[in-house]
Amino acid sequence: MTIKLINIIILIIFPFLFVGLINKVKAFWAGRKGASILQPFYDFVRLVKKGIIVNKATSIIFQIAPAVTFASILFAGLLVPIINFKSIISFDGNFILFAYILGLGKFFSLIGAMDTGSSFEGMGASREASFSTIVEPAFFILLASVVALTGNYTFESFSAVLQRAGAYGVLIIILAVIAIFIMLLVEGCRVPIDDPNTHLELTMIHEVMVLDNSGIDLGLILYGSAMKMLIFASLIANILIPSNLSILTSLLIYSGIILLIVVIIGTIESSVARLRMSHVFEFIFVMSSLALVVLALVATKLYGN
Amino acid sequence: MNYFLAGIILIFLGGLISLAFNENYKAKIISIFSFLGTVFLSIPAINILFTGKIIEKVFYLPEPIGEIPVVIDSLSAFFILVISFMSLLGIIYSQGYIKPYLAKNKNISSHFLFLSVLICSMLGVVTVQNIIFFLIVWEIMSLSSFFLVIFEDNKKEVLSAGINYLIYMHISVIFIILGFILLYIKSGSLEFNSFKAILESNKVFADTIFVILFTGFAIKAGFVPFHNWLPKAHPAAPSHVSGIMSGVMIKTGIYGILRILSLMAVPSIAISYFVLIISVISALYGVLYALAQHDLKKLLAYHSIENIGIIGIGIGIGMLGLSYHNTLIALLGFSGGILHILNHSIFKELLFLASGAVYKQTHTKDIEKLGGLIKTMPATAILFLIGSVAISGLPPFNGFISEFLIYMGLLKGFVIKDVNALIILVLSIASLAMVGTMALLCFTKAFSIVFLGMPRSIDAESVEHDVSKIMIFPMGILAFLTLLIGLFPQFALNFVLNPANILIKNNLIVNNLLSISLMRIISACCFLFLAIVAAILFIRNLSTKNKKSEVKNAWGCGYKNLNNRMQYSASSYVSPFLSMLKPLFIKHFDIKKPKELFPKEAHFKLNIQDIEEFYILNPTIKANKIFLSKFQWIQGGNTQRYILYGLIFLVLALIGAVLL
Repeated sequence: MTIKLINIIILIIFPFLFVGLINKVKAFWAGRKGASILQPFYDFVRLVKKGIIVNKATSIIFQIAPAVTFASILFAGLLVPIINFKSIISFDGNFILFAYILGLGKFFSLIGAMDTGSSFEGMGASREASFSTIVEPAFFILLASVVALTGNYTFESFSAVLQRAGAYGVLIIILAVIAIFIMLLVEGCRVPIDDPNTHLELTMIHEVMVLDNSGIDLGLILYGSAMKMLIFASLIANILIPSNLSILTSLLIYSGIILLIVVIIGTIESSVARLRMSHVFEFIFVMSSLALVVLALVATKLYGN
Repeated sequence: MNYFLAGIILIFLGGLISLAFNENYKAKIISIFSFLGTVFLSIPAINILFTGKIIEKVFYLPEPIGEIPVVIDSLSAFFILVISFMSLLGIIYSQGYIKPYLAKNKNISSHFLFLSVLICSMLGVVTVQNIIFFLIVWEIMSLSSFFLVIFEDNKKEVLSAGINYLIYMHISVIFIILGFILLYIKSGSLEFNSFKAILESNKVFADTIFVILFTGFAIKAGFVPFHNWLPKAHPAAPSHVSGIMSGVMIKTGIYGILRILSLMAVPSIAISYFVLIISVISALYGVLYALAQHDLKKLLAYHSIENIGIIGIGIGIGMLGLSYHNTLIALLGFSGGILHILNHSIFKELLFLASGAVYKQTHTKDIEKLGGLIKTMPATAILFLIGSVAISGLPPFNGFISEFLIYMGLLKGFVIKDVNALIILVLSIASLAMVGTMALLCFTKAFSIVFLGMPRSIDAESVEHDVSKIMIFPMGILAFLTLLIGLFPQFALNFVLNPANILIKNNLIVNNLLSISLMRIISACCFLFLAIVAAILFIRNLSTKNKKSEVKNAWGCGYKNLNNRMQYSASSYVSPFLSMLKPLFIKHFDIKKPKELFPKEAHFKLNIQDIEEFYILNPTIKANKIFLSKFQWIQGGNTQRYILYGLIFLVLALIGAVLL
């Protein structure tokens, strides 16, 4: 029970810190002092306090879409293990529900963007939807391979990889971490797929989808995408944290890994330019290849001589 | 059984009696009769579906026809329910849809008669268990649906689509007849039940028969590469007919496959993989081409191919479970596949009916010309949205439930200790995931281009109001059902457990506790999710209540006068994805570029042709034409010559009779 409570608190609070820290890291590399790490939270509060501007062309869809998307991300967070391998809701095949509930959120964020009738938002929606068609199968290949290896049908199956596969396990874990990190970059719309700070609508992906949102809607969207990144970061953390630790140690290790991921994301964003749009697909295919290599490793481990 | 007979007769009578009435009342008469018929049909069907017992009766008719054995088991009962209920909703909807045609179209009388004949013949297909009568009702079904497709026979493309459909159906029936003849020769009987012994004893023979019959039924169901009739016939037919055809009729092909399976003892491993792989290909192919379509009904027709593929994946994994003697896998696969039959018939009919409503108000099926309809047709828009979310397989709607069961079947399949199984299963899972996200891409496109944004043409702009209540009502029921099954999957599962047991055969060992408990958790999760959505919407409304909200133009990158022609189009929406898969499409561009200093007109249109049609079908037809033209001299148009042919045939027949 305590673990579940701690998980929920982490799920709600950490997204603000996550983005705040990324910005801090970027400020460090740029030689600036940077805003407080609580700035995303202040922004959220400011947005909630504001009124909203509604586009003339829009309908009810535009108004409910951000809330549905945020709800889906929050719910997906309940299905992911955060500390101590315990998802708040854990059952066989929960990663299927996880992917599909995020899909529902994506569905609404896409139609919310298309509702404005602006070609910029159509462009963003089109790109975001296209990218996820490649990410999702790779995610399922990865998860299914690990399930085949461990015989555990939940996210917690990662914890058994090492003891099942030995040396292969180390390799599988490394590849899985990289694959999910790429997924984090795609779903969270970070460099090199997308630049959250860009100011040219033609090259944006996620940011351009939310051009017309304002007030609490925009707040929910920003909070939601931060939470989404935290969810994937938690997945990575759970692949790495050894099992059977006390709550406090695993909380510490968890925070450490999240901090490391934040530093890596911030460093990438300070040192690499975003990819050309036509190369993004190729970058995402790296994730598919990694997932296929994991499949090959599992097959070799289980059936190779 | 008497109830069943009464139900069929009532539906048929509805068609007959409607002939006598004035055009304005025909649809009403047939609705009333088929409502009564559905009530009568569902009494025995529900009883059999939940108890799992089998009712048999032999009807005696005067001599040339003879005995008609009718068997209703829970598999038949499941299909009876789906057929009668979905057809009823389609007929109710037709009352409103058919109105604009009343004055103009001369086919109204025959249309309703054939509609009732189609429903009766489908009911016959799923209950008659005798080769000859099966083929008779099967043929009546194909023919009556052909006449329904060519309702608007003054249009050239409708007629050619209809004939294309007719040809496909007859190629299908050739395979079915071939399979049945082989079964008859081996077993010496016309009854389905008597095939069991021969199919169980001779494995190779059973496999051959299965492949032949599967091919025949696959043409009806629309598996790739036999799918080409679907995207042609569905757009040509009136919407309620497309709904019934796609929602119900193509499922009779699936019924045929399941019926053969129920007669076979254990399918061989190779056959199971064959079904699984062809289904995965169908699912991917269907959704891929659906993405590229701009004709709303054509898009939905390609999605039928996709969903038939998903059903097939369920059946394939069920067969795999049977051939490896693992009842858990078999149960998950079959129950997922059969539940998806129900689910698909619900949301596909909903989408076809909604697209019919759009067509009725705007007179165009080209989605590039639509837009902003949510403001003038709010009910249709919301119903279409529900259908779209459901068909994309997203929770909390019904599509997710059956796909989840199929995923679980595939995952549990890992207990088969075989490296090929591992690779095929993982790739199937990945394909299913890809199909899901592509369906999402496709339906965000369809929904947002048709209903959201601003109207893209005068057709869409001139819509004044939503369709009549009689058209909204059946769609509302369908939308309600999608949500109901999505929220209470543990009860929906009861509908498919007995039919699945018929396929697994030994219902003692089957343990359905796992799937039921999983369904309970999913149900709880869906409710929790809806509660979270409601809470967040509530908070949002609370916080925006007392603040001023402004209405402004969309952000146009500094440009002030955005208009409806600057919106993103359906082609551009899917362009990044399609350009990634360039080699899989044959693209036909129709471009007129703007010229001169002050360009007057310009246009761009992209048509995407089916790769199977381009590389396989068209060359085959061309070669066939050249080959057959060699025999044109036979048809001289001279009566004496034809009499001579007759004479020659008689002489040859006589000689043959003497020699044998």
